[in-house]
Amino acid sequence: MISTIIDRLLLSIPVLLGVLLFGFLLLQLVPGDPARVVAGPSAAPDVVEALRVQMGLDQPILVQFWAYMERMFTGDLGRSMISNKEVTAELAAAIGPTVELMLACMIWSIPLGIAMGTMAAVKRGSIVDRAIMAISVAGVSLPIFFVGLLAVQYLGVLWLNLPFIGRGGPLWSYDGLRHMILPALSLGAILVGPVARMTRSSVLEVLKLDHVRTARAKGLSERSVILRHGLRNALIPVVTLIGLQAGYLLGGAVVTETIFSWPGIGRLVVGAILSSDFTVAQGAILVFALGFIAINLIVDVLYSLLDPRVRK
Amino acid sequence: MTMAATETPEPKTETASAATPAAKPEDAPPPRRASWGRRLMRDRAAVAALGTLAIICLAALFAPLLATHDPYVNTRSVMTPPAWQTGGDIAYLLGTDGQGRDIFSRLLYGARLTLLIGLISVGLGGFVGSMIGLLSAFYPKIDAWLMRFMDMLLSFPAILLGLALVAVMGQGAVPVIIALAISSVPDCARIARGIASGVMKMEFIEAGRAVGLSDAALFRRYLLRNCISSIMIFISLRFGQVILIGAALSFLGLGARPPLAELGMMASQGRDFLLFAPHIAVIPSVAIFVIVLAANVAGDALRDVLDPRLQT
Repeated sequence: MISTIIDRLLLSIPVLLGVLLFGFLLLQLVPGDPARVVAGPSAAPDVVEALRVQMGLDQPILVQFWAYMERMFTGDLGRSMISNKEVTAELAAAIGPTVELMLACMIWSIPLGIAMGTMAAVKRGSIVDRAIMAISVAGVSLPIFFVGLLAVQYLGVLWLNLPFIGRGGPLWSYDGLRHMILPALSLGAILVGPVARMTRSSVLEVLKLDHVRTARAKGLSERSVILRHGLRNALIPVVTLIGLQAGYLLGGAVVTETIFSWPGIGRLVVGAILSSDFTVAQGAILVFALGFIAINLIVDVLYSLLDPRVRK
Repeated sequence: MTMAATETPEPKTETASAATPAAKPEDAPPPRRASWGRRLMRDRAAVAALGTLAIICLAALFAPLLATHDPYVNTRSVMTPPAWQTGGDIAYLLGTDGQGRDIFSRLLYGARLTLLIGLISVGLGGFVGSMIGLLSAFYPKIDAWLMRFMDMLLSFPAILLGLALVAVMGQGAVPVIIALAISSVPDCARIARGIASGVMKMEFIEAGRAVGLSDAALFRRYLLRNCISSIMIFISLRFGQVILIGAALSFLGLGARPPLAELGMMASQGRDFLLFAPHIAVIPSVAIFVIVLAANVAGDALRDVLDPRLQT
């Protein structure tokens, strides 16, 4: 068990190095002279030159890479090229809202998806199954921004008058909760479909197995056969799927945050790219990549906790 | 012996029985392969999806002939609703957008670009990915290396690659295509490798080696030909996803640049007029939804008919 986790941690080191290298190349590949970009187009040549020395751009590339790695491990991501604030400070302010949004969307969409998928599997071939599968194929095909725009239009403006701009404060306050509803609803809508599909095929697979037949033969109620013997085993692949969906969810979060002006990393990175604020963009992309690695790590560990066979 | 074989029905031939009412014992061909087209045609949803896709592709292809207006020219009738709504104008079938451009014509041109971005990136990524997968099944020596590398690529979700490339290269369709193509590579490589290593275990590969075929001939004539259809199905399943991510990037303002029309971008342009003229955002969003839905339904049906092994 512990060794599985350690193995998994060791495996993520090369990926981590890859991500850091990627972040370094990102700024190297930006067209034009970074010193000139930082100094602004109207800066005098000697100012640019001084800045170049200060930024270490006159050093050989390997030395620059080493300095970059040193800065990364000490948590120094530089300053924003636009606001001149510390990038780490901007990221620290944005990371909370993003995590909050993702958790809020998963808390309703994953249980709903699992429930829908189980129901479809149990009533296989019936009208219920077909309806649920149709809904989930439609859900997989919906552009996330469409869901968001519809939520703004109908739930935000026409019917419920829910707020759709920004974050209303901490989650435990009334206003904070109200502001959370529409973004969490839109982002979760794209997750229900894949989870339902995966749960359905996984439950169907498990219900065919011998131990389920034994449970039925023992005269257990259908309810306990499905919930205790079927669903419990079927959830293992679903957990992996949620890990695989993390990238998809990340993309959804970027769009959702932009639509609802949610002050998270997604909105930060889009704004930074559109205003050529390369240091902030680099920092935000690194945070996203690290978050993605962390989610997959957690999923793998969860997987080994859920499936005793993996524990060895 | 042969009689007994004909009497026991093959498990997978429930629907093929009509096509081959009485299989002759001496030359019983595998009936599954022979009738896949007919089985596909019996799936009404699949037929509808394929028909829709064909119509959309043709409409996009012949956009210059079908367009009723110049998609890039502003007119004075701003925000005209679709023709069937009050205040609509029959000259502008789907109404006009915030700058008075005809939405129907823009939709045709936008679908063209959206489909093109999807096709090029899936084609490119699918080709490179399946080559990597096939090669790593063919040459076990490089297998571990290539697959490790694919695992690393897999830890960069498409949206992240897209954001990073756009940050470096600036907004445009090209970085989006590159990002979508790269993110399709590891998935396709894994699937192709799985399919190909099954084929590599077949006797005819060994037979080919035994008669002294060169590696190139063995690869091309034996391995590739036996894998290609399964791989193509998987690639077609990716098409919808790729279009969705591409549209999301365009929606964020990171894809194709404004004088061009692209469906995701059209939806984001309509965002500002959501309250007064919702059709500007809704029509292109629905178009993306229909394209992706049709692609997903058709891909699923194709997979079920041609290659049930790939079912998830």
